[in-house]
Amino acid sequence: MIRDARPNRVLVSLMSLGLLAWLGLDALSVAPNRLVQGTPLNPVEALGWWVTLVGALPMVCVVWLAWRPTAFRLWASLGVVVGLLMAMPLWLSGAVVAVLDPELPQARVGIGPGFWVLLFLWLLVLVELRIRLRLRRAWVWGLLLFVLVVWGIALSHWLTPLALVQEYQARSDQFLEAVSYHVALVGAAVGASLVIGLGMALTMRRFDGLRRLGFGVLNFLQTIPSLALFGLLLAPLAWLSHQVPWLGALGVSGIGWAPAWLALVAYSLLPMVRNTYVALEGVDPGVIESARGMGMSRLQVFFQVRLPLALPVMLEGVRITTVQAIGLTAVAALIGAGGLGTFIFQGLGQAAMDLVLLGALPIIAMALMADALLGALAERLRRREAA
Amino acid sequence: MSEAAFNGPGSVNGRSRWRFAVPLIWLTALLLLAVGMTTLEPLFRLFEPDLRQVIYDREHFWVLLGEHVLMVAVAALLATCVGVAAAVAVTRAAGRDFMPMVAQLASIGQTFPPVAVLALAVPVLGFGTVPLIVALLLYGLLPIVRNTLAGIQGISAEVLEAARGMGMTPRQVLLQVELPLAAPVILAGIRTSVTVNVATAALGATVGASNLGDPIISGIVNGNTAYIIQGAVMIGLLALTVDSLFEQLQPGVPGQSSGAQSGQG
Amino acid sequence: MIELFDVTRRFGDETAVDRISLRVERGEFCVLVGTSGCGKSTTLRMINRLIEHSEGEIHLDGQPIRDFPEDQLRRRIGYAIQSTGLFPHWTVARNIGLVPRLLQWSGSRIQDRVEALMALLGLPPEFAHKYPHQLSGGQAQRVGVARALAADPDILLMDEPFGALDPITRQTLQVELRDLQDRLDKTIVFVTHDMDEALALADRLVVMHEGRIVQQGSPIELLRAPADDFVASLLGGDDRGLKEAALVRVGERMQPITPKVGEAPWVSREATLNQALSLMLWHQTRHLLVVDDADAPVGRLSLDALLQKAHHE
Repeated sequence: MIRDARPNRVLVSLMSLGLLAWLGLDALSVAPNRLVQGTPLNPVEALGWWVTLVGALPMVCVVWLAWRPTAFRLWASLGVVVGLLMAMPLWLSGAVVAVLDPELPQARVGIGPGFWVLLFLWLLVLVELRIRLRLRRAWVWGLLLFVLVVWGIALSHWLTPLALVQEYQARSDQFLEAVSYHVALVGAAVGASLVIGLGMALTMRRFDGLRRLGFGVLNFLQTIPSLALFGLLLAPLAWLSHQVPWLGALGVSGIGWAPAWLALVAYSLLPMVRNTYVALEGVDPGVIESARGMGMSRLQVFFQVRLPLALPVMLEGVRITTVQAIGLTAVAALIGAGGLGTFIFQGLGQAAMDLVLLGALPIIAMALMADALLGALAERLRRREAA
Repeated sequence: MSEAAFNGPGSVNGRSRWRFAVPLIWLTALLLLAVGMTTLEPLFRLFEPDLRQVIYDREHFWVLLGEHVLMVAVAALLATCVGVAAAVAVTRAAGRDFMPMVAQLASIGQTFPPVAVLALAVPVLGFGTVPLIVALLLYGLLPIVRNTLAGIQGISAEVLEAARGMGMTPRQVLLQVELPLAAPVILAGIRTSVTVNVATAALGATVGASNLGDPIISGIVNGNTAYIIQGAVMIGLLALTVDSLFEQLQPGVPGQSSGAQSGQG
Repeated sequence: MIELFDVTRRFGDETAVDRISLRVERGEFCVLVGTSGCGKSTTLRMINRLIEHSEGEIHLDGQPIRDFPEDQLRRRIGYAIQSTGLFPHWTVARNIGLVPRLLQWSGSRIQDRVEALMALLGLPPEFAHKYPHQLSGGQAQRVGVARALAADPDILLMDEPFGALDPITRQTLQVELRDLQDRLDKTIVFVTHDMDEALALADRLVVMHEGRIVQQGSPIELLRAPADDFVASLLGGDDRGLKEAALVRVGERMQPITPKVGEAPWVSREATLNQALSLMLWHQTRHLLVVDDADAPVGRLSLDALLQKAHHE
């Protein structure tokens, strides 16, 4: 099936770039404490020439393998890249031991640009290999899980001087709270918009005028930038909580979860309603007609035929909405809604970059996971439908 | 893009007289507000009767507006050039090897929340206007690359074969057939990119770039609702102006507004 | 004149076209016919180098086609395909004027040419400013043919140009194309899988199967003496007699005597023998009265004359 005799230029160029990044960019920085700007170190400075050359070897190996990409050689490259991704934290652990002065317990190690570039390039290599070897997505996620386990072990045992880890340890309780709060807020917003969205889509299918009006309003809302919408909700909610004491007692106020949740629902409605509407409308009329022809009642047609057939496209709406809400919730931290965005904006305020990362990385991970899970679910439903 | 979906320029000319009425209304409101925010002082007094200062005065609103527009415009311009060029490159025979990866990257990248991209730009690039523009540019690339790819790949194989069969050079095929036919889809990509970036740029105040987000952030920090409303209304109007402008430029099918596809700041 | 010498085309391990040799004379209407996947479209595309041949040589007026830059070569050869491939973002006039513009003709010359072609193909002048999606299938196909003819190429390559049309439009366009060919004297290579279309159009019929040429010759030659069972069944099996009859006009078999009016059912001189046979079956008669365009009787056709093999062919 793969009998390409030409070099796989994608792999060759990615790995060549990787070599350049490895040999030319700073992979680490060392600072005596949190406040001082760190000193950048490249891999040679950190662990010497020999280790750096040994580290370069697998990348050269992939270039060589990709030069004549038979299926076997691509599989071998996959092995090498996964190996590299797992070796990365181990190398870091070694480097941490080597570069840190034991006299300075406050010293911390920052991750440099070279490291991020390499991680990015290797993940791209993984993407390319997945495409060329036609691997299932779930399969690659499985591989990445392995990599993550190695990372987890290294992070918890040997990488404590890493600034990112230190920021985490300083606020591990807060972190867990922020994650669960973030998830809860996203869940509440997506859940509410799912219910409201389904209701709106059903109503819009009945009344044409309402459909135009509804989409007009939702489009309008979606156009307003999030920060502006959060801001605009602030005043009326503050006023409301003053006027209606029991709302205030519930925690509704100009800042906090209430405006965040409202704005999230407002943004979530457009993709949700649009997908639900399109999904319900998109069901093959022939199927509906034959269902009715068999003598199914209206309700039976809806619940047993139309809704199940529309489900994959509706799930697509849930996926878009969820990914969008994860990002928007981060912005909501600015109006005191809590969640992982708090770390980002605190970090930006204090110029503590590792605190920014502590907020941003989990948000990206959450978005990617939500995207992958919901995407896989929709795919599964679709395949079952096709079968 | 189906051939039937293509409305010739004739249909656009039909409504040309009033096409730009809506964007013009939003724009007028935006400019009036930028120049004359101070005259609304009594109104904002209602929100914050106890504060000494109710009109944001660290910078003129028209300066903030100019900065905001400039950042987004520079980023959008660069993103369009780079994005279209990249998508064109990977659809040529010479770059086709890179296409699956670039397509995947563009679609995976769009799952990244824009605020996270902005946050990641700071450790790498530092604080200030340039890092903000780079972050906007990088994030703005994705929908443009994706839509350009979709637009070019959506052209029917027969049209391309006919173009080659008639003796057009590859350059002529690209400039006279592929890009014009993909234009509506590319424009939709630029619209998504700009819409997201208007919103994301507003967060620039947190990374040391000054623009219309400043009054909001400052208002939140100082507990001044009036500031927040001023910034929010200005950003909202700017977004509406830009979006309605793209709406009118779009020659595509009504109801298929891909501008607000997903992704907010 | 187009000549193919032992031309082969491989796609990976597949051999799509296997050592075929073919010679199409100037002014000849050559139809490549065969089942789908037999290599006929590949052969056509190799002539204008949309597909490069792997082995062998293709000559155009005695010169190897690889001597020409591809773009120049294609501008010399008209090309029309099934789905027309009209540019949806260009008007009809601009579509037709494509190749002249590539050849950098002057604006007025292009305009004159476009108008002349639209007239030639029976397209009303007001169509000039329409867009392809506003045309019916038949109209779009006329525009496609006009575009192929625009720069007055000596050679025209056509790949199932009428494949997507309804039978009636299709037949009209076939008649018009044949007519056009008689007037313009182009060298045409035409690909189709429809045997009736092939028989109706071809001067030379080339039957292809699994990448090879199985048989070539005039339609009558092939009908009379199919090389093997495959060709015979492709030509219509037992219907071959009727297909052959469809190639001969009544005027060629009638006896040119002046018969008495009202003697028998009448048939036009321009009708084909199979139509005449059908009339005989319908009216249960052995004789038909033959009339000319003005419905004036000019001859008489008997069943015996109809069944007789033509000696002069």
